[in-house]
Amino acid sequence: MAEQKISHPTGDARALVEQVAKTLVDEPDAVSVSQVEEGSETVLELTVAPNDLGKVIGKQGRTARAMRTLLNASGLRLHKRFELEILE
Amino acid sequence: MPIPDKIASANKINEFLSGIVTHGGLHLKYRITVDPPLAEERDWERPEILVEFSGPDSPLLLERGAELLRAIELLALEMLRLHGNEHEKVCFDCMNHRALRLEELRLAAGVAADRVRKTGSPYNFAPMSSRERRIVHLALRDHTDLRTESEGMGLRRYVVVYPKDYKGASNPSRRTLP
Repeated sequence: MAEQKISHPTGDARALVEQVAKTLVDEPDAVSVSQVEEGSETVLELTVAPNDLGKVIGKQGRTARAMRTLLNASGLRLHKRFELEILE
Repeated sequence: MPIPDKIASANKINEFLSGIVTHGGLHLKYRITVDPPLAEERDWERPEILVEFSGPDSPLLLERGAELLRAIELLALEMLRLHGNEHEKVCFDCMNHRALRLEELRLAAGVAADRVRKTGSPYNFAPMSSRERRIVHLALRDHTDLRTESEGMGLRRYVVVYPKDYKGASNPSRRTLP
């Protein structure tokens, strides 16, 4: 099987975080992301069910770091600075 | 153990990447292949699902030791909820990066082996992912006069090459290969 996709030129970092978080957790309906503009930076506040906190953070914070890496790359393309905050 | 349902997993990866590429504004294409043919005879890696990226943002994926490629791979593996020993069944690649890195690690393992033989002292590699440590262990498994171990914790875990019968103080100076 082989599939090929072509990317779209525009993006939405809030939707990006929401999509990734929903695939990681057991309770996707409890995932919410709010976007707060703080000067030149856009802070994305991620809330998940308490039991899913470990899933979005990961072992030694690996999953959270991977999400931040992805968000930084997206920021380069969307010409914005994003910060991910995982709310407890 | 093989991945239980490869087609379903490939479809999930497709859906996942489609969202990431679109929402992330990344200029990337990707191809997902189930049971890809092996490029050469080797038991280093036998992926059951291969994801190959291409497109203008390929260099971005490979910056800083392929940090973004690894990040997307990690998120996809977490999304699939594969067991630890199934992680190597899914392989993310871009511009032949994996083959180049594999060759780099094999060369570095050879250099380390020579140095351990010459000095009689253990050799510490820089910290690596479990997948890369495995490659170093495999590269040196036929060197019967040496043994390799993984030491350290978590993200700082690294491979040490010892002379087979080494019994000295196990605190060799840190090197930075590769």
